[in-house]
Amino acid sequence: MTESAIAAPSMSRERVGFSAHRVSVIAVNTLTEAVRQKVFILFLLIGLVFIALAVFFAQFTFGEQMKFIKDTCLGVISVITTLIAIVGTAQLLPSEVENRTIYTILAKPVRRFEFLLGKFCGSLLLLLLSMAAMCILFAAVLWIKEQGMIRELSQSYVGESPAAHVEAQKQIEQIQTEVLDVELVKALVADLAKATLIASVTLLVSTFSTSLVFNVVVPFMVYVVGMLRGTAAEMWGAHRLFMAVLAVFPDFGLFSIADEINLGKVVPWGHIGQIVTYGVARTLVIVVAAHLVFSRREI
Amino acid sequence: MKLLVVIVLFGIGFALLPLENALRTERLQMKYGGAHVTFQLREAIGQNLAIALLAGMRGIVADFLWIQGHGFWEKREWLRQYRNIEVAVTLQPQSIMFWDLGQWHMAWNIGYGAFSDPKNRTKAEAIKREREWHEKARQFILRGIENIPNRYELYFTMGWLYFEKLSKDCDDPPCSEAFCKSADYLAMATSYPDAPQFVPRLYARALEKCGDLKAAYEEWKRLWRLDHSTTEQAWSIIEREIRRLEDYLQIPNQQRVFPQPTP
Amino acid sequence: MDAIRTEQLTKKYDLGWRKGKLLALEKLNLRVREGEVYGLLGPNGSGKSTTLKLVLDLVVPTEGSAWIFDVPCSKVVSRLHVGFLPENPYFYRYLTGAETLEFYGKLCGMRGATLKKRIEELLDLVGLTRARHRRLAGYSKGMLQRIGLAQALIHDPKLLLLDEPTAGVDPIGSKDIRDLILRLKGMGKTVLLSSHLLAQVQDICDRIGVLNRGQMILEGDVQTLISDQRRLSITVQDLPEAARARVEEAVRATGASIVSVGHPQTTLEALFLEALRKDQRREGEHD
Repeated sequence: MTESAIAAPSMSRERVGFSAHRVSVIAVNTLTEAVRQKVFILFLLIGLVFIALAVFFAQFTFGEQMKFIKDTCLGVISVITTLIAIVGTAQLLPSEVENRTIYTILAKPVRRFEFLLGKFCGSLLLLLLSMAAMCILFAAVLWIKEQGMIRELSQSYVGESPAAHVEAQKQIEQIQTEVLDVELVKALVADLAKATLIASVTLLVSTFSTSLVFNVVVPFMVYVVGMLRGTAAEMWGAHRLFMAVLAVFPDFGLFSIADEINLGKVVPWGHIGQIVTYGVARTLVIVVAAHLVFSRREI
Repeated sequence: MKLLVVIVLFGIGFALLPLENALRTERLQMKYGGAHVTFQLREAIGQNLAIALLAGMRGIVADFLWIQGHGFWEKREWLRQYRNIEVAVTLQPQSIMFWDLGQWHMAWNIGYGAFSDPKNRTKAEAIKREREWHEKARQFILRGIENIPNRYELYFTMGWLYFEKLSKDCDDPPCSEAFCKSADYLAMATSYPDAPQFVPRLYARALEKCGDLKAAYEEWKRLWRLDHSTTEQAWSIIEREIRRLEDYLQIPNQQRVFPQPTP
Repeated sequence: MDAIRTEQLTKKYDLGWRKGKLLALEKLNLRVREGEVYGLLGPNGSGKSTTLKLVLDLVVPTEGSAWIFDVPCSKVVSRLHVGFLPENPYFYRYLTGAETLEFYGKLCGMRGATLKKRIEELLDLVGLTRARHRRLAGYSKGMLQRIGLAQALIHDPKLLLLDEPTAGVDPIGSKDIRDLILRLKGMGKTVLLSSHLLAQVQDICDRIGVLNRGQMILEGDVQTLISDQRRLSITVQDLPEAARARVEEAVRATGASIVSVGHPQTTLEALFLEALRKDQRREGEHD
C-alpha cells in the first residue's frame, strides 16, 4: 500500500513536509487566545501610569522631565516585555496539555516542530503587539509633554523683543528634537531582542516541565544570573572555570542600552546589530534545544 | 538526549564568548554602564534600589534618587540632598544634567541655604560656609569634566560658576582672577561648534572682566565676522558691544568695524 | 488492509528515578478492519488511552510497532487520514464553534470556500449550527463532545479514534453521539472507540476487545460474544394465561428445558428517552 494510493484528492503528499502556513495558523491562534484573555487591560493600566508620570514630573526642568519620562517609560516597557515574555510563554505548553488541545493538534498531520515553533511565534507576536501598544502610549505622553512645554514657552515670550523670539524658536526646536529622538528606537530593538531570548529560554524550560510555577521561576532565575554576568565578570574575571560555567547563561546585561541613549550617547547601529545577532543566535540554538526535548516528549 | 541539549547550550555559550567580550569592550569604550555595584554603593542606595540597579534600571534608580533629593531640597535638608546628588552622578557619570544641575544646587541653593542658616553665629561664618559650598560645586564640576571631557556643556557650567559665584568669593570683590579662570573655561566651551550663541558672548564679557579688553574686542569682532545670513546671533548686541569697546579702546577710525561718521 | 494494525505493541512508563516502571500495555496485537466500528473496553487504567496515544505517536512505544493503513505511526503522513477526539476535550475556550473548526481545518491545509463549506456541513451534522458563533467557554459537555467530533472529522478522515466519546454526557447527548457514530459507519468510516460503558458499546460496535492491566483478555464479534447459541428466547404479546401452559408443555415435549419465564424489561435508558420524547410531543401539542 503506497501513500499516494490512500491519499484523498484534497490531501496531496507534499503538505506533510514542514509547513510555514501551519506554523502561522498556530501562531495566530495563540495570539488570538492571549488577546481574548484581555491581557490588554494590563496595557491600559500601564498607559495610565505613563500619563500620570507626565503630570507628576511637571515641577522639574525640561531636561529633568525628559530624562525622567524616557528613563521610566523605557524601564516600564523593558520590565513588562520581559514579564510578558516569561509569563506568556510559560503557560503555552502546560495549558495545551491541560486542556488536551495538544492531542487534537498533534493528531492532525502536524509536525511537533511546527507546533512548537507556532506557539513560540505566537508568543513573539504578542510581544510585538504589546510593545507596539506601549510605544504608542509612550509617544502620546511625549507628545502631550511637548505641546505643553511649547505652549508655556510661547506664552513666556509674548511681548518680548524679536531677538528673544528667535531664542524661543531655538528652544522649541530643541524640545522637538529631544522628543522626536529616533535613538529611542535602538533601545526598543535591543529590548525586543532581549524579550525574544528570554521567551525562548522559557519555551525550553516548558518543554520538560509541566509546572507553571517552575516554568516562570526558572527563566526568571536565568534572567537574573544573566543580568549579573557582567558584574560577575568584573568581580571574578580571573576565575576561568567559574566564567565557563556561567557561559551557558545569556548575558542579558548586554541588552541594556536605554540609559546610555537617554544620556544622549550615540550608540552606533553596528553595536545594535551585534546585540541583535547575539540575541538571535542564542535564541535559535535554544529553540533547537527545545525542539530536541519536545520531539521526544511523551504527552 | 538531555546530555545533548546541555552540550548544545554550553556549545553556543562558548561559541558566543568572543562576541560577548567584544560587546563588553565596546560598552566600556562608549562608557556604558557607569559605576559598578560595589558594597559602598549598595549601602548608599539601600537594598531595593540595589536590586533595581542589578535589574539594569540604572537610569530609573538615579532618577528616583534625584527626585528624592528634590524633596529634601524643598524641606531644606541640604546634606541629604547633597548625598543623593553624589550617588546619582556615581550611578550615571555620563549625565550632563546631573552634573550641571547638581553644581547649581550646591553653589546656588545649598550655598545660599548655608549662608542664611540662623545657626550661623557671625556674618563671617555665614560667608565662610557659603564659600565652602561654592568650592564643593567647583570640585564637583571638575569631576564632571573628567567624565565628560568632549562636550561644551560642563566647561560652560564651570565658566558660569566662576563668573557668577567664585568672582565674589575673594576679600575684595570682584576678583578678576576668577573672571580670567571663567574666560579660560568659556574659551574651551566656545571651541565646540555646537555651543549655543550665548556661550561666546559670555566668553567675551569674561575676558573684559578679566581685564583683557583687547581680547574681548577681538572676540566680539570674530563673532561679527561670522556669516550673518547663515549664523543665528543677537547681532544688535554684538554691534553695541563693538561700538562701546571701539570708543573705550580708542580704536583708530579706519581700523574700526563701525567707523564714526566724519563730522 | 487493516485500518489499524499493531504488533507486540508495548509501553512502559518511567515513574521516575528508582521508582521503577509502569507497564501500561503489553504485547498488544490489534487489528481494526476497514469499515468496522471497534470498541476497546476495559476498566480505568487498563491501557485503552495508551493504545490510542501510541497509534497517534503521542507517546513512543517501548517495544513493537503500529501502522495506520499500513503506514508506520511514527510518520507524520500516517495521520493524514485520522481524526481524533480525546477524552473530555476542552479546546480553546476563547474560540467560537465555527472558529474552532476553521482552526483545525487550516491545520489540515484546507482553506477558502472548501473549508467554509465543510464547516457548514459539519456544524449541521453535529447539530451545532445555531451555536456556531458562541464561544466554547459557554458550551455544555455534550456540545463540546460534538464540536470535538466535528473537529475530528474536518479533513474527512477515513479513520476515527474516539476516546470515551460518551463519558460525562447526558443520556440524550450520549444517544446523539451513538447515532452519529452509526451514521459515520454508514458513510464508510472506520471507528476505533474506547469506553467503559458496556451497554453503549454493545449497541454500536461490530467487534470489541477487552483490555485489563495492559493485556487483551477477550476479543471478538459482539453478536457472537454475547449470544448464547444453546439458548433461545421468544417474546410474545397478548398470550392468554391458559395458552401459556400449553406452550410450556409443547416445549418440554421436545426434550428442551425452560430456564426462565417472565416479562421482558425495557432498559432504563430506553424508558428515559421514551418519556422525554412523549413530553416533547405534548409540548408541541400545547404550542
